[in-house]
Amino acid sequence: MARHLRLLFLLVVVSSIPAGFFMEHEHAVFPWHTIPSMDAIFGGLGALLLILGVKIIGSFASREEDFYD
Amino acid sequence: MIKPVPPAFIFILGAMLLPLLGLRGRFRQPYLIFIPLVAFIDLLYLEPGTSWVYRFLGYDLVFARVDSLSLVMGYVFVIIAFLATLYSLHVKEDGQHLAAFLYVGSSLGVVFAGDYFSLFAFWEIMAVTSVFLIWYRRERESLEAGFRYVLMHIFGGCSLLTGIIIHIVSHGFTPVGPLEGGWASIFILMGFGLNTAFIPLHTWLPDSYPQGTVTGSVFLSVYTTKTGVYALARCFSGADAVAYMGGIMAVYGIVYALLQNDTRKLLSYHIISQVGYMIAGIGVGTALGINGGIAHLVNNILYKSLLFMCMGSVIYVTGKRKLTELGGLARLMPVTCIACVIASLSISGGPGFNGFVSKGMVISSAAGANKPILELMLILASVGTFLSFTKLCHFTFFAKNETIRAKDPPLNMQMAMILTAFSCVLIGVYPRVLFHVLPSSPVHYHPYTVSHVVGVVQLFLVAGLVFMVAKAVLSPHEGIVLDFDYFYRMMCRGIVWLCTTPLNGLRLRIQGFFSREVSAAARASKNPISVPERAIKYLHLRTLQMLRPVARGPEERVRELEQMRWRLTEIRNIAYDENAYRGPMGLGILLAVIFLFLYGLIYLAAS
Repeated sequence: MARHLRLLFLLVVVSSIPAGFFMEHEHAVFPWHTIPSMDAIFGGLGALLLILGVKIIGSFASREEDFYD
Repeated sequence: MIKPVPPAFIFILGAMLLPLLGLRGRFRQPYLIFIPLVAFIDLLYLEPGTSWVYRFLGYDLVFARVDSLSLVMGYVFVIIAFLATLYSLHVKEDGQHLAAFLYVGSSLGVVFAGDYFSLFAFWEIMAVTSVFLIWYRRERESLEAGFRYVLMHIFGGCSLLTGIIIHIVSHGFTPVGPLEGGWASIFILMGFGLNTAFIPLHTWLPDSYPQGTVTGSVFLSVYTTKTGVYALARCFSGADAVAYMGGIMAVYGIVYALLQNDTRKLLSYHIISQVGYMIAGIGVGTALGINGGIAHLVNNILYKSLLFMCMGSVIYVTGKRKLTELGGLARLMPVTCIACVIASLSISGGPGFNGFVSKGMVISSAAGANKPILELMLILASVGTFLSFTKLCHFTFFAKNETIRAKDPPLNMQMAMILTAFSCVLIGVYPRVLFHVLPSSPVHYHPYTVSHVVGVVQLFLVAGLVFMVAKAVLSPHEGIVLDFDYFYRMMCRGIVWLCTTPLNGLRLRIQGFFSREVSAAARASKNPISVPERAIKYLHLRTLQMLRPVARGPEERVRELEQMRWRLTEIRNIAYDENAYRGPMGLGILLAVIFLFLYGLIYLAAS
């Protein structure tokens, strides 16, 4: 069941990408506003960037619960 | 004809009357609900342009000045006071309600204050009353976190007062309004910045809010930071530094939120991130930016208080606050779960929810003001917000946990959550409700364009896919993550060491020296005629000691010297005990307060 749900979700994600090619940003100011489905790219790259940030900060700033006691 | 009063006084009077009336059981709950309702009716009668002025020491103190910005703040503060009071109706301690009402009252005082002195007075009352919502949890961590909270806010208050005094000396007694550069602005910005959790002055927030009582944290999540945002909107709108600080806060808060295991600590870091959006809009300074910032403030108050209500309910029912201990609550606490999902979609900016409207306004304002870096920072924070709340909802409600036992909280808590969730959806579906009260109206912004809706959906879907793949990396872990407070704590430990070891040693040496000299003077005063003879003997002894270190003086003198040395050693060995100084200090402060009060009475009688 969970596997099927995952596949369905993946299908929805993939099928949502072409939608960006059929519309324009109403108030395009910067170059990336004109790239189709840029928000999907932001979503993927942003998530990866944040995970990287989390890993880096977590690697040197994580401590035991009673660190300050 | 009903004559309105400053809304702050309704809450303050309501708080004062609470212990005096001594209401219990079924009489107390209607009274608690009655106060926010009266304040709301009072707000309806307030006309823009109205003000209450009181002349004091040659200054015209403006306790309340009504305009479109203060009115929108007043409305949302009073509405959420009603919802938070409803949520906390089951609390039996009068002290908690009293502290909450004083806190709400003083926050309204800040919002309606027309001059800097009145603003500062209410600002400080706000800091002092809010700490009791932390201390009422009655645990060691809460007590300690409360003290740290107070220390940070004293620093912020001192900074604000310094700025206000410099401003008044250089510019005169002006109304609260846009500030020009200079030292006054820097100090005032620091004071406001501490309350709005500017990085790196933010540490008090994730340190103290998770330690509040279940109901107290709902109040805390609303007022302190939002009065700071309001003050920035009044005095620093259009400042680039403020706008970029907003971008930094938005991203910083998200990264740290993703690292948290404690649910309310996670939400506290999200406050920093969301406040970042607000002040980014205010810093952009255009009509869309300011409207976006204030709209986001209103929306944030709703969904953030709802999130604190949901997590408070989870803690209230299960007694667990860590994501690693939770899971499987969706079936056991359906109302809380649905409310939390609505709040999560609202804070993430999902279409149909209030965050979608205001977040779009702020991001569009950054693009409109040609600030590409700011726009990218805010988009990155949007991605992180979605990831973080997917994590929160998943590990609290949907992850497997066979051992947990729970049910939805009491009816009043459920009602408060349902009403707040309804408000989030109402503004999301019908944003004109919000646009109607924004300071720069009419609002020229259409949130539901095809590209905006599709863009947000795409962003969520792809970020969700990354979450699904990298769930193991984002899964919660036991432990804490060090923040800037590490440096503050180390610095404070250094100051304590400096005071208790070298400075206290110096004090004891000085004390020993003077004790010796005073006792010598007392001995001499008993028989002054013998002083020259004793002095000669003493000098003789010292000379002998210097010339012949091994030489022994008269036996009596040797014993006396030994005794003095022993006393000095005894004084040095006294351990520093802060409790020994609390009594005299407390007495001193009490006397100062009594004298100040008497002086005030005399002044009032004379004038």
